[in-house]
Amino acid sequence: MTADLSRARLEVGEVLVVERLGGGLLELVARLPQLAASATPGSFAQLRCGAGTTPLLRRPFSVAWTQDDTCGFIFEAVGVGTRILSALRPGDPLDSLGPLGHGFTLTSEGPAVCVSGGLGCAPFPLLIGELRRRGVEDIIVLNGARTAARLYPAERFAHPGLPVTVAEATDDGTRGHHGPVTELLTTALRAHPSALYACGPNPMLNAVMSTLTASGMELPSVLEASLEAPMGCGFGTCLGCALPMLDGERSVWRLCCTDGPVMPMRDVDWEGLSALPGADVA
Amino acid sequence: MSAHAGAVDLGRGLVLPNAVGLASGTAGYGFELEQLIDINRIGALYTKGTTVAMREGNPPPRVAETGGGMLNSIGLQNPGIDVVATVYAPRWRGWSVRVIVNIAGGSVEEYVHCARVLDPVAEVAGIELNISCPNIAHGLDFGRDPAAAARLVAAVRAVTERCVVVKLSPNVTDIAAIARAVEDAGADAVSAVNTYVGRKIHRTSGKPVLPLGTGGLSGPAILPLALAAVAAVSAAVSIPVIGVGGIIDAASALDFIVSGASAVQVGTATFVNPRTALEVLDGLEMHEGRRAMRRPSDTMS
Repeated sequence: MTADLSRARLEVGEVLVVERLGGGLLELVARLPQLAASATPGSFAQLRCGAGTTPLLRRPFSVAWTQDDTCGFIFEAVGVGTRILSALRPGDPLDSLGPLGHGFTLTSEGPAVCVSGGLGCAPFPLLIGELRRRGVEDIIVLNGARTAARLYPAERFAHPGLPVTVAEATDDGTRGHHGPVTELLTTALRAHPSALYACGPNPMLNAVMSTLTASGMELPSVLEASLEAPMGCGFGTCLGCALPMLDGERSVWRLCCTDGPVMPMRDVDWEGLSALPGADVA
Repeated sequence: MSAHAGAVDLGRGLVLPNAVGLASGTAGYGFELEQLIDINRIGALYTKGTTVAMREGNPPPRVAETGGGMLNSIGLQNPGIDVVATVYAPRWRGWSVRVIVNIAGGSVEEYVHCARVLDPVAEVAGIELNISCPNIAHGLDFGRDPAAAARLVAAVRAVTERCVVVKLSPNVTDIAAIARAVEDAGADAVSAVNTYVGRKIHRTSGKPVLPLGTGGLSGPAILPLALAAVAAVSAAVSIPVIGVGGIIDAASALDFIVSGASAVQVGTATFVNPRTALEVLDGLEMHEGRRAMRRPSDTMS
């Protein structure tokens, strides 16, 4: 089946600010009217990093939030591409291709739980805003990071006036629960969420699924994770971003860019995903 | 050949409306790019390499970025020739871009089977033989040995009247010898070059990033290499040469034309900017217009 790319546009926007949130977390805000008007929760944009040929490929970023004609992107400067983005100044051009990808299934029934690990916070502000618009009152964010400085600020998960419950966890205990974010899951599950959305490193997502399964509780009807993979094009032609997914009992390759990045957690081949090597960041 | 933005006759009745094509493996079967660009302005679409049976492709990671380029090891993921002929081809009806189906296989019989399946399909404008995929076992054998390449081309030639383009591997000692062999065996045109075998090391683990160790290098990094190959091939054959490898704009496409190519394919650059092929076409047309104005008495040949 061919991906629906009808909303995707090439667009050169303008950087408004690259804000340092602490702990290396960055929020890039850019005026990208077409992307802002058409991005849906869980969709992403392929951003060009500089105008040269190294780095050659665009980098995929979740559209973290939109407001009027602007979009926010949350990232860390970990490689050559993100270092270039981190050095952008207000007024610099930003070349975007998007929105791309298959996003979250939107529910209008609460409670909804969002589980974030590290940069996994990226797709959630836009998702939370949309869930609120649909009348979901009870939204719980479980936000985990290695240390307090690297937690996306709780108040940014929703626009002012749209409060959400944010429970935090840090690996080093510098804020919130001392331990992995998945340890907060058992409490959140007592609210019997109708939807659970997760985004973060693969081991964390795997732990979310194991915790859910081990809890013996009925799984939320919407149970989805936003995944990532090394990506070439972002629009389904290079076939580079294969992820192991279950088709019945069989593991098959699906494309992160067009079949995902949001995938039903029930259909992920968790064993296959765990066996993949770590990201190649240069 | 100076009318490089104009029509290109590849032989056997296949005339491309212009010199710019989308390279195999970077445009799928056209259905994604159709949504992003005006695909019918482009001269030719060379499809993803297609095999007799469906292939699921290689385990990830399948792509790795390198300086000015990227390595891929997709492993010829494709739905199989029957799906292409019966499900995809009808969707090309009405397209003006010429769809040239790239076929690959592990034996002469597999290529011949694919060519036979495609031969009666009206929407298929031609066949490109991928004798050079570095990412599947035995895929390179035909591309490395002039005699084996010639046997393959002759066998395909015997079952189809369609235009047959042979995509040459650069991972050989003497690419001109392979080009001559496939010309003698009945190829209508050659495209040069496929990707270069390359390797990237994961700096923390010290292991290759790609699971098979190596992959195919593409992108602007290979432009000078591809130009040298095209110059060598052009000097060796009289059939049309289609230049491919590292084109990012009209200037780099012109580099191929002046090196002897009659047409070009835009590959990896489409990933970065899906409009690249259109921009190359615009640039070539402008260049042609300027030449015509400079030398009004010239007749275009």
